[in-house]
Amino acid sequence: MNRREFLAGTVALAATSVFSLGATKNKKDIVIDSHTHLSFRASPADEGDERLVLDAADKLGIDQLCCSILPKRPATVEGFQAANRVMAAAHKRHPDRFLGYCFVNPGCGQAAVDEIRRCLDLPGFIGVKLYNEHRCTDPIVFPVIEQAIELRVPILHHAGHSHYPVKEQPNISDGGRLAELAKRYPEARLICAHIGGGGDWEWTIKALRHAKTVYLDTSGSVIDEAMVDMAVKVLTADRLLFGCDMSWTAGIGKIRAAKLSAEERRKILGGNMQRLLAQRARQQ
Amino acid sequence: MIIDTNAYLGPYAFRHLRHNTADGLLRLMDAKGIDKAWVSSAAAITHRNVQPANEELAESVRRHRDRLVPLAVINPFYAGWQDDLTACKEQLDMKGLRLYPNWHNYKLADKCCLDLIDAATALRMPITIPLRVEDYRQRSWLVDVKDLSPAEIVPLIKAKPQARFVLLNGLGYIASPLGQKNNNLPANYWIEISRLSALMTNEIGKLIKALGPDRIVFGTGMPFNAPDPALVKIEVLQLNRKDKDQICEENAAALMS
Repeated sequence: MNRREFLAGTVALAATSVFSLGATKNKKDIVIDSHTHLSFRASPADEGDERLVLDAADKLGIDQLCCSILPKRPATVEGFQAANRVMAAAHKRHPDRFLGYCFVNPGCGQAAVDEIRRCLDLPGFIGVKLYNEHRCTDPIVFPVIEQAIELRVPILHHAGHSHYPVKEQPNISDGGRLAELAKRYPEARLICAHIGGGGDWEWTIKALRHAKTVYLDTSGSVIDEAMVDMAVKVLTADRLLFGCDMSWTAGIGKIRAAKLSAEERRKILGGNMQRLLAQRARQQ
Repeated sequence: MIIDTNAYLGPYAFRHLRHNTADGLLRLMDAKGIDKAWVSSAAAITHRNVQPANEELAESVRRHRDRLVPLAVINPFYAGWQDDLTACKEQLDMKGLRLYPNWHNYKLADKCCLDLIDAATALRMPITIPLRVEDYRQRSWLVDVKDLSPAEIVPLIKAKPQARFVLLNGLGYIASPLGQKNNNLPANYWIEISRLSALMTNEIGKLIKALGPDRIVFGTGMPFNAPDPALVKIEVLQLNRKDKDQICEENAAALMS
């Protein structure tokens, strides 16, 4: 199956509920984890933790998982190419369940851009994942952003805001920097990662208030009461994407805890991500 | 029945809390199917003199003692802690302790702390120790209070075999002696689940295997935390009825009996 067939299939399958685990689910009820990881392994033939991840997803009613695989960082070209090969293999093994972000280190220049083009031409890749090698406002990142814009795919950007220097992550981005990047590139589809995994989440939500093109994913281990409610109040449900980032019960529990209308819940759990993916599909 | 061993009332210094009055917490508990909760003062975490906060907590739960079980926050590094403990037990009828060594400027191995443990043990009060209050990454610029590690608890567990400890808001026990079978530690500690994984690494499942279901207790961390993730854990663990009853109710009830 080539990319064109795959993406056309994604839309068609979603429309007929084939991805959904529960028989009663319809297209609107699909649950998509927008922020997941699979383990890095040397050989794409090695299934690694894929079955464990699927078992967790099955128990929680998650239909699809948008995954990235992170090599040792700062990532080299060889490292991220190897990771993305594993991602492609994981999708091939479980095409209805695993979708892939192409992981690159923007500091690798043209090689990073080329890797995005290569991966996004393969079945199963739906976006770009960036980590903390460079702040998102560093001009070295811009060619990667521009490539993602050209391909109409989302960029999931690791982020966090601490009131102390983050010694292990000196170049970590935060909601404020992603808002700044969005000003420069309003057409970019930016996802600020893990509201519950990146420090002061109230700061993050407030920093993103006026950056209307930036989505926020709900993943992370922090389960502070009112987190999702505040995000909905300040950003609206249209800008939130459900995610777990491997904190499985935290991810589902946060959504259960939030005071959401049925329509808001559907949007956050999968509708918004479907809409993002459909932008890519419409280009074909 | 579900008993939450890890709940709080009152204001917290660094974040607005909802559901932090007795009525508010009870409404949340009703909505989530939680029957009882062990509560302590969130304000006392950052107060120098903790006793007014204990008194306020006792007053706030006075009409709800069937569902809200008050625990005293005692700082053994502060003048008059013995009087505070006596007042909490005898006048306020508080049922256990909650300790914050890193917030209150003492170590678990300090003599004052060991003296407090002895005094609480003599009063048959279980001692709960939150390994953290909030996620460390979101700490305020005003304070830099580190989490306790499971390893730091081990000497205390060994030193005070007659005491009964409940460890809250922790994880990583399976990498420490606390979570290992045949660890030569007294069976005087219980582990609460709010931060433990229930899927993939499944630390709860491993702890049940290593220590037994009689050593695990349900807890949420509400209203700091949403209670739902802990409830989801119980759902996905697919425990048999006996284990579930022990973890969700019986172990906590026995500790307070």
